[in-house]
Amino acid sequence: MVRFKSRYLLCEVCVENRSSLLLLEEKSIYLAVKAAVARAHGDYGSALLIVSYAVKYVNAHTGIVLIRCRKSHYRIICSALPFINSLENRGQKVPCFLNCLHVGGTIRTCQKFLVKYSTQQLHRMLPQCKNEAERDEVRSAVLSCSLGKERDVEEDEMEDDWEDE
Amino acid sequence: MEDLAAFERLVCKNASDFHYMKICLVLEKGRRNVEAAQFKQLMISGLRQLYGEVGAALPFDVLKFDPSTLTGMVRVCNSSLVKLWSAITLIGSYQNELCAFRVTQVSPFLIALSGNSRKLELD
Repeated sequence: MVRFKSRYLLCEVCVENRSSLLLLEEKSIYLAVKAAVARAHGDYGSALLIVSYAVKYVNAHTGIVLIRCRKSHYRIICSALPFINSLENRGQKVPCFLNCLHVGGTIRTCQKFLVKYSTQQLHRMLPQCKNEAERDEVRSAVLSCSLGKERDVEEDEMEDDWEDE
Repeated sequence: MEDLAAFERLVCKNASDFHYMKICLVLEKGRRNVEAAQFKQLMISGLRQLYGEVGAALPFDVLKFDPSTLTGMVRVCNSSLVKLWSAITLIGSYQNELCAFRVTQVSPFLIALSGNSRKLELD
């Protein structure tokens, strides 16, 4: 048996207004990426997307998106992502841009990276806090993502790795 | 015995950066006025259709264009030769008129396009 190798692109949706992030939908991202690839790479690019292209995971609260594509042509998607400047969510056009954080071979590695990245972001947020209440909130968030918890989450996502294809 | 079997391997990599193509445009209703710029524009539109905006930005030059036979000499980078060739092959219409591109000759050396052995006439 041959295993189909994929690449997972972990992207962050950056919007001006955090509340508009809650409208984020899988379908709108799917269509926006498809349109961007069609524009940048034409018929050839959009034909490559037919196999194995999928939006695997969308987190509307944090704006994290996981896109799957074939290993052989993930560069096609990667190069088209910066050309997305708006997403259409439930009839509303939201200006935004997609920031590719990580390219991984499995969902598991992407998740590991995301946990590490989020912890790092929390540490970065701590000095920027303006008042004591905010600082306490961030501090407790930093403490809550200890190593023990991280491992639990990873084990939960183990099965995701194998559902590949 | 082993000495006899020994052989020398010669690898000749193409030293030229460009490929030259001789392309002929065939229109359904015979010839008409097509300028060199229109010829290039048609090729770019084919590239844009197949390879998008990235494809439309591929560098290539129309070195010579003969409006009487609609034949052009095109210079293109080695890396984008296949893309250009496939894109112009798929062009099917020019100003609502059926058309086709015929690639007559392709060579890494421009001088090779000066003659065509298939049309050689011996006296």
